[in-house]
Amino acid sequence: MIKSMIQKMYLGLILLLLYAPIVTLIVLSFNSSKTRSKWGGFSLKWYASLFENADIMNALYTTLIIALLSALISTLIGTAAAIGMQALNNKFRTTMMAITNIPMLNADIVTGISLMLLFIACRAFYPSFSFGFATVLLAHITFNIPYVILSVIPKLKQTNKYTYEAALDLGASPIYAFFKVVFPDIFPGVCSGFLLAFTMSLDDFVITHFTTGAGVHTLSTKIYSEVRKGIKPEMYALSTLLFVTVLFLLIVVNTAPEQNTSNKKLVRKAPSKFSRIANIAFRRVVPALLVLVIVGGGFFYGAQNRASAGEQVVVYNWGEYIDPKVLDMFEEETGINVVYEEFETNESMYPKVQAGAVSYDLVCPSDYMIQRMLENNLLAEINFDNIPNLKYIGQQYLEQSKAFDPENKYSVPYCWGTVGILYNKTMVDEPIDSWSVLWDEKYEDQILMQNSVRDAFGIALKYLGYSLNSTDLDELQAAKELLMEQKPLVQAYVVDQVRDKMISNEAALGVIYSGEAIYTQSENPDLEYVIPKEGSNVWIDSWVIPKNAKNKENAEAFINFLCRPEIAKMNFDYITYSTPNTAARDLIEDDAIRDSTIAFPNDSELSRCETYQYLGTKFDEIYTELWREIKSK
Amino acid sequence: MAKKLIDISHISKSYGDNLVLDDLNLFINENRFLTLLGPSGCGKTTLLRILGGFETPDAGNIIFDGVDITNLAPNKRQLNTVFQKYALFTHMTIAENIAFGLKIKGKSKAYINDKIKYALKLVNLDGYENRMADQLSGGQQQRIAIARAIVNEPKVLLLDEPLGALDLKLRQDMQYELIRLKNELGITFVYVTHDQEEALTMSDTIVVMNQGYIQQIGSPEQIYNEPENAFVADFIGESNILPATMVEDKLVKILGVNFPCVDTGFGRNKPVDAVIRPEDIDLVKPGEGLLDGVVTHLIFKGVHYEMEVTANNYEWLVHSTDFFPVGTEVGIKVDPFDIQIMKKPESEDEEAIPIEE
Repeated sequence: MIKSMIQKMYLGLILLLLYAPIVTLIVLSFNSSKTRSKWGGFSLKWYASLFENADIMNALYTTLIIALLSALISTLIGTAAAIGMQALNNKFRTTMMAITNIPMLNADIVTGISLMLLFIACRAFYPSFSFGFATVLLAHITFNIPYVILSVIPKLKQTNKYTYEAALDLGASPIYAFFKVVFPDIFPGVCSGFLLAFTMSLDDFVITHFTTGAGVHTLSTKIYSEVRKGIKPEMYALSTLLFVTVLFLLIVVNTAPEQNTSNKKLVRKAPSKFSRIANIAFRRVVPALLVLVIVGGGFFYGAQNRASAGEQVVVYNWGEYIDPKVLDMFEEETGINVVYEEFETNESMYPKVQAGAVSYDLVCPSDYMIQRMLENNLLAEINFDNIPNLKYIGQQYLEQSKAFDPENKYSVPYCWGTVGILYNKTMVDEPIDSWSVLWDEKYEDQILMQNSVRDAFGIALKYLGYSLNSTDLDELQAAKELLMEQKPLVQAYVVDQVRDKMISNEAALGVIYSGEAIYTQSENPDLEYVIPKEGSNVWIDSWVIPKNAKNKENAEAFINFLCRPEIAKMNFDYITYSTPNTAARDLIEDDAIRDSTIAFPNDSELSRCETYQYLGTKFDEIYTELWREIKSK
Repeated sequence: MAKKLIDISHISKSYGDNLVLDDLNLFINENRFLTLLGPSGCGKTTLLRILGGFETPDAGNIIFDGVDITNLAPNKRQLNTVFQKYALFTHMTIAENIAFGLKIKGKSKAYINDKIKYALKLVNLDGYENRMADQLSGGQQQRIAIARAIVNEPKVLLLDEPLGALDLKLRQDMQYELIRLKNELGITFVYVTHDQEEALTMSDTIVVMNQGYIQQIGSPEQIYNEPENAFVADFIGESNILPATMVEDKLVKILGVNFPCVDTGFGRNKPVDAVIRPEDIDLVKPGEGLLDGVVTHLIFKGVHYEMEVTANNYEWLVHSTDFFPVGTEVGIKVDPFDIQIMKKPESEDEEAIPIEE
């Protein structure tokens, strides 16, 4: 009795551990409150808003069409391959089976990267071949084929190999014999292969991630890119739906063969009405539906992307770094379709542009990264004849740009800002004007530092009176020691959370970008931003055109559009980072903001600031190593 | 004079290094029940598959009713096959199975229905039209396989060990069934088996094969009573195969004893093999036979006793309805026409000489 109790409890515990995360997700998807920690009552609103989101619906459609097409094609290829392999002699068959099984055991990331490399290699022969729907489809077909083979082979083994010969013997042509005699026997295997392939395709993230191109998202890559920006409750709903779908398909795959045999037992006497109906359903209705879905969907999809066939511009920008309305306006005005992709850090953007898997027309990196891209010959010269609106950009910003683009030939400034200290007036008792406050023991556990090598070292180097692009090992050592000294006082090394923590009064002092400071101030008036007197970092994010851009003129048209004062003003209102567009600044109605020293610091403040420069691989490594030493101690 | 229907000439076939058929020649007459008999691996099934079109010979050709069909696809041939494992289409009803070939030929519905009824009656399975194939017993399935083949009115029906999977009693019933069918249809049956009893029971002509060569062709009586070599003698039934010397015509010296026989033409003092069937040996009182021996082994087999008699250092296998306890001294007597003399092969290779009809 007790033993069986314990057994049941143990089983229950295992199930609990296995399913707790998914149950949490499902429960949260019905939570009407936006915060994870509070139950705000049962609600379907996240599901409703999910279905209203055109991007997600588009991703859903892409996912389904890729799953369906890749499953269909891989079922065809896989079944043919299985038949071929079955006809081989034993030794070859075993070898072939092993070879086809390897991709299944192979790590997805290896498959993904190798497919990406292969596709890049293809571009050497067909330069017009670009990443997107086709590459994802090819990749999915590739990794699906082994699953189909795996489920068809056992069925082929079970069939009596003489039935095929018997059919030939009775006068059937080989094709007729296959479809009349062999195919019905292996049909359950083909079906489960198809469903398995469909499920795998639906499920895949890693391989899609590596093989997709600009603007093509499946649900999984969509969820990933959304989650990077911050988890929205809609994503719980979407993940729940995805989980339920995959679960359902897996149940179908696993129970299908059983149903088949039990059916057979039921249909002992003559083929019953049921089996005839099932037969008709399989032969007529299912293919008809498939054709309908694919053709109808194809039209729908084509209509959705009709512009993609014509003019387009592929933009690669920071997340939340443009007013979405601006994109719509540009498309409406010019008829050029904007394919919009986002990145999170300069370092994650760089390899994608360098690999050239997707040819971006326009990218928005930061100063030092532009320098690095220039050094690696990745950028094209901009034809400024196409950008008359450049005149609205303040001369001082172009001067500043010379630090990384010496002749102002490759970049157009988009946003800029400084790094400074955000402090809560109610929590500090003296005026703040120096980095030294970050080393004041009074504020132990009240300090938030940026979790970024260059920013942390920049602060320490500036505090010590050095350049924040220092390549002097002694200076760097001194900066490191300073940071080590500071470590016990720091509440946390964070990135985006500085904003939220400062708004909610969780810390007194935080290192932050000026653009964020404007937003936090509007949320919490007790906050104040200052550029310390020792000087700081001033950064510029500028538009550049990669060498392999396919729509250079469209890219220039887009830059010109963004430089238009009204448009630049819209973007400033949306992203709150300082605009280098002086005409746009003049359009700002709110005096407090237009004259804000946070958004537009005065020249004396700016003269104390430096831009980051790319220091080369060697110093990249030195900085990283020193930072690692600090963090690990 | 029967008409020659199939002419197989100079057929060779090998799989890799394995030579399965070597320059084989054979013709098959109309309206015959011809059996290819031999141990497994002798090439009989390969020959049948070449006839059916499922294998292509490396050399040689097959003339069917005056036309060369060597490279004709199986679905174009006017012969049908009954496979060892029935090979029924399990997802179809019995009627659909039988109608399969007729539908391909584009026969009318009425014609097909008539044929199904006729064929089912012929194999004694009327009323089974709507059953599924896997609901039937092995024997029933095999009869359906035959029905499915014969509705196409082939000139030749090829049967590849069709009774191999059935139990003994069923197998015997089916043997009679097949003879009856063959007589009713009046077509040629080419039957492959390794079961000598089956071959003897059903065939008009038996072709004994070994290692890709034909060893002997003849009626069941000829094959049994007058095996042409030790292989045939050994393979067909049980026998005593003894090294002997042909002293002169009609006299053979076996184990140092002269036996009168009926064979002539082997020359004088030539080494030969003598075959004596165990049931052809008469046990008599010591001294009354040609040589004396002692019963060393005794098993009751139902119809007869099986004994081993040691005489002149040889263990003679004897079948007799008379009972001689172990230890009894007996005399061995053989009638001259019960001794079959065969030329002794001079080498291993020659043991499998190709023989033409």
